[in-house]
Amino acid sequence: MIRDLQKSYNNRPKNHAGHSATVDVRLSQECKTDSRNKNVFFAMEDSRTCAEGTQRHTLTSRQSLQSYGESMSFFTEIRQDDRFGPFVSFTEALGFIPRLLHAQTLLPRAIEAQAKLESAVRLKDGAISRIQKERILLCIAANRKNDYCMDVDSTVLSSLGVSDGQIDNLLNDYRQADLSACELASLQFCLKLSRHAASVRCEDIDALRACGFRDEAILEVVVMTALALYRCTLAVGLGPEPDFASRKLPSPRIDQQRGITLNGLLSGAHEVIQRKGPYLPAPYLSPITFAPFAVVQQSHGFIPNFFRAQTLRPDLLEAELEAIGRILLPEDALTRVQKECILLTVSAANLNSYCVAMHCNLLRGLGLPSEEGDQVAVDHHESNLSAPDKALLDFAVKLGTHDPDFSRGSVVKLQTLGFTEEQILECVVVTALNNFANTLQMGLGIEPDFAPPAVFEASKAKLSGASLTPIQREGAVHRPNALQDLDAELVVEAQAGKLDAFEELTRRHTQLIYRTLMAILGNPSDAQDAMQDTLLSAFKHLRGFQGRSKFSTWLVSIAKNAALQRLRGRKNFESLDEGQYKEDQDFRPRQVRAWQDNPEQCYSKSEIQQLVETGILELPAIYRIVVMLRDVEQLSTDEVARQLGLTVPAVKTRLLRGRLMLREWLSPHFTASTKGAVQ
Amino acid sequence: MITCDEFFIEFSDYLENQVSPEVRQELELHLSQCRACRVLYDSSSKTVKIVTESRSFELPQSVSEPIIERVMAKLRSEHS
Repeated sequence: MIRDLQKSYNNRPKNHAGHSATVDVRLSQECKTDSRNKNVFFAMEDSRTCAEGTQRHTLTSRQSLQSYGESMSFFTEIRQDDRFGPFVSFTEALGFIPRLLHAQTLLPRAIEAQAKLESAVRLKDGAISRIQKERILLCIAANRKNDYCMDVDSTVLSSLGVSDGQIDNLLNDYRQADLSACELASLQFCLKLSRHAASVRCEDIDALRACGFRDEAILEVVVMTALALYRCTLAVGLGPEPDFASRKLPSPRIDQQRGITLNGLLSGAHEVIQRKGPYLPAPYLSPITFAPFAVVQQSHGFIPNFFRAQTLRPDLLEAELEAIGRILLPEDALTRVQKECILLTVSAANLNSYCVAMHCNLLRGLGLPSEEGDQVAVDHHESNLSAPDKALLDFAVKLGTHDPDFSRGSVVKLQTLGFTEEQILECVVVTALNNFANTLQMGLGIEPDFAPPAVFEASKAKLSGASLTPIQREGAVHRPNALQDLDAELVVEAQAGKLDAFEELTRRHTQLIYRTLMAILGNPSDAQDAMQDTLLSAFKHLRGFQGRSKFSTWLVSIAKNAALQRLRGRKNFESLDEGQYKEDQDFRPRQVRAWQDNPEQCYSKSEIQQLVETGILELPAIYRIVVMLRDVEQLSTDEVARQLGLTVPAVKTRLLRGRLMLREWLSPHFTASTKGAVQ
Repeated sequence: MITCDEFFIEFSDYLENQVSPEVRQELELHLSQCRACRVLYDSSSKTVKIVTESRSFELPQSVSEPIIERVMAKLRSEHS
């Protein structure tokens, strides 16, 4: 079969440049008819009068546009050695190298990532058969009206022995494709997940189980759906010419598949009380025995639920992690921050609160202030990002939400703003990866690791993939209770000059400010002096507070600055930087003597308070402030992270070390001499 | 059964009651077999309880009020 496929691939019509004869016709038609492209060309003409820098970018774009005449996609293709690993594995598995891969040759690591994913997920039998997997790909491609994927996937299915009649039915209406009830149910699930991921519920998974699917098979069905969206997103963003163009694709295609998805599965989904995820069991995997988790532990500081939820299939996890590493870690095209902003914005547009929270945290770890990350999630247009970066995010959102307006013109527009082809290509790949991750998260019901800055509600959003950011879809976004600012009204009054309102605000937050100052300065008289500085400074800068964070978060940052200013005047300045405590990374408790049953009963309240205060003041400053805010002030870990501009995992690490040090310090006072201790 | 090192990796989340049922089961099995980790967990959770209930570093009103009044008097004189 593979030999047949190779033959038909080699015999496809070609022009003198060795490319398919249909290409140039289609390209010229696109240029003639696409008014958006015309606008881009006009804009480029106009830009001659712009600043010198812009003109240089325009020239680059023109050169690239000329080379498109010879390219089989939106991007320049580089000749790759036939021995290039991913090409070898695709040739072995399919008999040819899909143009979707050729279109990424400017970034070979992106091809490696795709090959890793496809090899593990698609190109072999697993808990579901290879043909079932290909049928999922084809149905989703047809549902998405993705010509490239329909062409290649129908040809691959044909090579696997599936009849033309069934393939035509899969393209038009899978219900007529003479499939078992079980497989029909799985395709219906896949279409729902691919089209309305936010509405997938635990009951949908139960329905698959009732059809006889084992948990491993359900996991594969979800991952295949995610892969289908990865490929469809890539195909739209890269614009490869069809590999075969041998089958007449149904046109106009009937949208029955979407109808049945909505009628059959969506009804009432938002009204019922939802069962929490994760939907599939996830056996414990340790970072010590499973090496890929060690890497995640190292890079994230913990194992996110996203990965824990897939432990039924360590092989898939390993491939995903390798793909993610190849796409996200290098900075030879886009920066890490740009990539995380793409992931954040497209996740928000896909109403995926889990991924929004994850990427907000990662951005904080990359040095972006909390409020800026939150703003990018809710509406990047209002953030402080540069105009080109906002355009990059618009591009990604348009692509990631399958906006029909996405075209080659979208690529050209970014080029005119100065982005290189490699950067735009990487944006496409990152967006595809994002859709892969969003689909997996929603399909598996993965529970959040952190509180998101805003919750995106599918029930209130337009479900068709609009390119608007969530805040523009009225009511689709709200801040969770924990992040709602109860001070908002008083802040507005205080900003208008009402001193009484400011006085009330200061009273509300006296303890928070004092404890922050004590944690940094370590002595009461300095903290009291710094308190006065903090309040005066807060009032002075009050008009600059834009409400992007909670008022209390903003106050803590003012207090922190006031305290640090005082500290700098001291001889023994103790930095809040992690650097000097790196050696503590392997901090292990030494005290192994058991404590008494009710240790707090051994001392009076004031004695305990004295012990705790002395113990906390003994801690290094970076641990002291975290213990102070989390355990003494009793803020949530997420709030502490926001207030200190740290990631949640960083706060957790410091908190644990601080608590363990405090435990060592308290131990001599509370260990059991003989009785009452834990044995 | 998991090792002490593996227990320690999950320890922070376990202390915060933020582990999945599968992980909890592994950790509790380990705790039932390992005295050192049991002592560590017990004393650490008692540490957290003692600290959170201690009401430490509370600025008495008798100290905070004069500070607030001083600040407000300054602001009012500047804005009158």
